[in-house]
Amino acid sequence: MPTQIGIILGIMVLAYALAKARRLTVEISMFLAALVGGLAGIIFRTPPAGELIRHLVEGSATYLDVILVFSTATIFMAIVNESGGVNYVVRATIRAFHNKRLAALIVLMIIVLIPGALTGAGSISLLVVGAPVAMALKLLGISPKRAAAILFIIAGLSAAAPPVNIWAMILCAGTAIPYVGFELPLAVPVLICGVFTMLVLGWRKERSIDLATALQEMPKVPARMTWWRVLLPFLVFFGSVAAYRLFPFQTPILGLPLQFTMSALVAWLVSPHKIKILSLSRDTVKRLLPLISTVVIVGMLQQIMTATGVRGLLSYAVISIPLVFLLVSLAIIIPVSEGVLTYGAAAVLGIPLIWYLDSIGFHATVAIAGLTLLWPLGDGLPPTALIGRLSVMVSEYKGSYWEFLRTTWLPWLFITIVGILMVVYSAKLSFLVRWSM
Amino acid sequence: MKRPGLVKAVLIVLFLIFLIQGGLRLYRHRHFDVPVVTGPGVTRVAHLSDFGPGLKGTMADTLVYFLDGTEPGGKAILMSNTHANEPEGLLAALLMLENAVVEKGSLIIIPQFNNSAGRNTRPGDGYPLYFEIPTDWGLKTFRMGNRDASPLDQWPDPDVYIHYPDRQLLSYIDARNVNRTWPGRPGGPLMEKVTFAAMEIMRREKVDVAVDIHGAETMFPVTNCIVAPEKSNRIATMASLTVKAKEGFDSHVEPSPAGFRGLSHREIGDFSDTLPFLLEAPIPFLDQPTGPKTVKFLLDGKDPFLLSLAQKKKLFVAYDASGWPLEKRVGQHCSVTLEIIRQYSKKNPDRSILVRDIPRYAEIVQNGVGHYFHDPSRAERDRIYPN
Repeated sequence: MPTQIGIILGIMVLAYALAKARRLTVEISMFLAALVGGLAGIIFRTPPAGELIRHLVEGSATYLDVILVFSTATIFMAIVNESGGVNYVVRATIRAFHNKRLAALIVLMIIVLIPGALTGAGSISLLVVGAPVAMALKLLGISPKRAAAILFIIAGLSAAAPPVNIWAMILCAGTAIPYVGFELPLAVPVLICGVFTMLVLGWRKERSIDLATALQEMPKVPARMTWWRVLLPFLVFFGSVAAYRLFPFQTPILGLPLQFTMSALVAWLVSPHKIKILSLSRDTVKRLLPLISTVVIVGMLQQIMTATGVRGLLSYAVISIPLVFLLVSLAIIIPVSEGVLTYGAAAVLGIPLIWYLDSIGFHATVAIAGLTLLWPLGDGLPPTALIGRLSVMVSEYKGSYWEFLRTTWLPWLFITIVGILMVVYSAKLSFLVRWSM
Repeated sequence: MKRPGLVKAVLIVLFLIFLIQGGLRLYRHRHFDVPVVTGPGVTRVAHLSDFGPGLKGTMADTLVYFLDGTEPGGKAILMSNTHANEPEGLLAALLMLENAVVEKGSLIIIPQFNNSAGRNTRPGDGYPLYFEIPTDWGLKTFRMGNRDASPLDQWPDPDVYIHYPDRQLLSYIDARNVNRTWPGRPGGPLMEKVTFAAMEIMRREKVDVAVDIHGAETMFPVTNCIVAPEKSNRIATMASLTVKAKEGFDSHVEPSPAGFRGLSHREIGDFSDTLPFLLEAPIPFLDQPTGPKTVKFLLDGKDPFLLSLAQKKKLFVAYDASGWPLEKRVGQHCSVTLEIIRQYSKKNPDRSILVRDIPRYAEIVQNGVGHYFHDPSRAERDRIYPN
């Protein structure tokens, strides 16, 4: 059987490589890899011939919720942006902090950390506050490339930050470990890594810019724009998130797509000028289409990989690695698995990995916290590169994607070392769990 | 591209073919009913919505079978398909439903406890839609379900699930996992209504023993065991020791963690007088590092990767080339359930429950699971129920 699965994996890789060589897009190349992998699988009746299309259709729905959240959140921010709200906030931030660089960087970091920490999705941080923070960073003399790099790393850390860390929750659900005691094991490394990132990527001014010039460079804000017009839509969003946290048994579950839609409608209603909401929504969804298609096709690919046994083979390969080599190779395995499977990676690799580590004396909670620092890094890696692509999009960086990714190398390395050390010394760090409870 | 219009038309046609062909299969799966022939022991059939009105007319409503004895005694409730991708529980429950006769006390069986999950699939995980069991009269087809209820029945998910009433934060996915929503509430999300209705059965009927039947991965530390809270521990231990000594298979006792909320083995005990037990049998199909997810693998539990991992001592159960076949898993569940009931009856003679005609481990391993299912085409119509 391993040979049969190896052949299917080889055919999938070859199909992807050939499609890329013919300059087809990442999405079409991945779809072809899934389709050809499925067809190769039919030879061995894994899956049976009649089931291939069903697998592709079923797999396409794997991340339907993620797509809805992306779409509604992006439309919400597009309306806030169109109303002049983003520029209004950035102007105020620059006025308050233009000569207090460290404070400015820390405040901006916290602004990015909060939405992701509350929802468990770095994408929400980027979609809600990414654009204004990117502009503020640029006006602090940071290049668009470095601004994109900062947003990518901090948004990733926001997803790992407590109280909501979806990787940890998936691992806890799959390993029957309670999702408790994660506050300090997650908050401490997230803050350390976040401050390190802001200092490494944001401390150096790449161009000198005085306050008057900075304000002049910024787009004009509509005359009738006020703080309440900016804040009200955000209050609706964060208010609805907080209401469920504070009164979970009295508050109906709205779901993030509806929460963003409500906030978008409020932003549209309080805008100081008229916004053509339908055409703006259509343009926004058009802009999101490549990302949406990637997510749809990753689901299909994941389904075919499981039905053919390729996913199991990869999972087996990871679990079989000798311990020391396994711990070192986490630096590669975890981010790459996220790049291919997104949250699915936590289930495919994370669950057997945690069971294994737990059985040989590692502290499961701290080890999970350590691993969840590494997963967000993979959100910058193809084929999905969800957070990386969003970071580039909201910061309006126009250069090469790889150049942007290379800029993140030092924080990337730092976070990797912190994450792996947390896994290795999980037993010694277990006091963080005790102090959290 | 010279004729983009033609390319677009071809792509649209292809898309529609995919959608109709794939979508129809998923639609049929959701509406496929498994005919169950109720045995001579079944005295009445109710709906879960009779105990939790919020369920009426929803896909979460499900049948509750009562097997009342001629003599009064204690009561046991049996739930399966809590996680509908662990079919050994469902097969054990149906096997009892079709064969058991209760002489004293009552047995209440809810075979499709999470009916919505039983009609759901698991996108991204490549499961087969159905599996077939050979019987003495032909093949009997069952749906393969999912761990969680369908989003068609409970949606949207919260960004994080907050357990009622403990307020423990759980993964958003767990809002649709009926083994995280105990003890439930009548006005909560659908899965909380399901567990609330089950708690109502236990409270109203004064149920003594609750058994929730599952399957667990071979790489999961809590597998091949009886999970029991403090109050059920003594009976669980006696049942475990007895099946080991008399029937020669292992099913050790795992304590129910007090800090992990929402699970049946924790909340039933804390919110009622019923003694809860959760049974786990190893199901290799659910493990991650395995070959393709085929029907054959689901039934025989044989996998070369797991075999290799077993040799490297990375599994939590003994595993050899014979795999972990369905007969063993169902047989274990039947024997352990019977033993729990027997131990409880021994300790509480005034509330004892006497059940007969349920095969035990060795018989099921020898005869196969299908041997105990009755042919719906030959059964009286009023004894057939769609599940």
